[in-house]
Amino acid sequence: MSATPRRLTIAKAMSEALGIAMEQDPTVLVLGEDIGALGGVFGTTQGLLERFGAERVRDTPISETAFIGAAVGLAAAGMRPVVELMFVDFFGVCMDAIYNLAAKQSYFSGGRVSCPMVLMTSVGGGYGDGGQHSQCLYSTFAHLPGLKVVLPSNAYDAKGLLLSAIADSNPVIFMFHKALQGMGWLGTVPGSIVHVPVETYTVPIGQAAIAKSGTDITLAGLGVTVHHALQAAVTLLQEGIDAEVLDLRTIAPLDRKALAASVGRTRRLIVIDDDYRSCGVSAEVIASACEGGVDWLAVPARITYPDVPVPYSPVLEHPLLPTAAAIVDTARRMFHRKAA
Amino acid sequence: MDVVIAEDLWNDEGEGVIATWLFQNGEFVRQGAPLAEVMYEKAGMEIPAPASGHLTILIEPETPVRKGQVIARID
Repeated sequence: MSATPRRLTIAKAMSEALGIAMEQDPTVLVLGEDIGALGGVFGTTQGLLERFGAERVRDTPISETAFIGAAVGLAAAGMRPVVELMFVDFFGVCMDAIYNLAAKQSYFSGGRVSCPMVLMTSVGGGYGDGGQHSQCLYSTFAHLPGLKVVLPSNAYDAKGLLLSAIADSNPVIFMFHKALQGMGWLGTVPGSIVHVPVETYTVPIGQAAIAKSGTDITLAGLGVTVHHALQAAVTLLQEGIDAEVLDLRTIAPLDRKALAASVGRTRRLIVIDDDYRSCGVSAEVIASACEGGVDWLAVPARITYPDVPVPYSPVLEHPLLPTAAAIVDTARRMFHRKAA
Repeated sequence: MDVVIAEDLWNDEGEGVIATWLFQNGEFVRQGAPLAEVMYEKAGMEIPAPASGHLTILIEPETPVRKGQVIARID
């Protein structure tokens, strides 16, 4: 008899992971804006205030500099703070505590003081929220040594990655994509809602996953673009092109081994990244693949958000976002196929 | 069997909204499994399957719903 599937949204899976970690370890606490009674603007801390109380589930004032700084201090003093900073766009005011303090804590102290903190933040646009609420900024964080950066594409990975992040002795930026969160008003991609076991399990940081295996071309994506790639793979298969979809899952450290193994088989690569184009994750993935010495059958390509601020109007924003159709077109060109 | 927004899911007479369907049209669901999440006044609530069977979704996400409303069918 098959087990009953237990479908969770990423929001629920994150709340569940936090609940497990808080139950197992009294030093784990959660802080951020509207994470208490509301359960998080993106539903990431649902039910935690009722279960663990206001001492361990702390609503903070709208002062990112203060509460991120407090979390770095808490981590140095032996706690394991999980902090939600609503939008990745808001990190500017507190970057010093992140890249000069948290990221360098272990290194500067010769390993004597660690910084076991997790920063949860939402990324991504596509729902008309303007240029200060729609960015991804993956590579802004992945560029900094001392920070690990993860981004799940589905609820199973969200729970496992968050438990790994909380157990990690160094700071982890846990990004979650608004289009996958399961909050309704953001329009959830159904593929992100998957079976999530009740039990405790972890998904290791630094390991990519093959979301769909294939032999002819590698489509490497992260977060929502994994789902665009999976959709494109269905169309391509109808045209006789068997695409492999690689879900990066961790942005830093990048799983270059899994990437090399995939492109070593397919010898064709498209990277799909909804962050800005220049100096982005897409460039890092293509450079890493090339350094591995692939005998390419086609020049690698990237599909990204262009180097412009995100427009407020959906009419202007939507044509700029990566899509399954753009992936299919790019792949067809690699195989010298004409548009269907 | 109809999947109905229970009369006691929230206290007053306001409208909620379907946030997410956790299963897709035509999928087999088991009795008791959460089928959908409904948001009311920024709080998320689960709608469990009243029976086992194949799901037919009648109300799409982001659509306002009232208590007592039929949102899906299970056959």
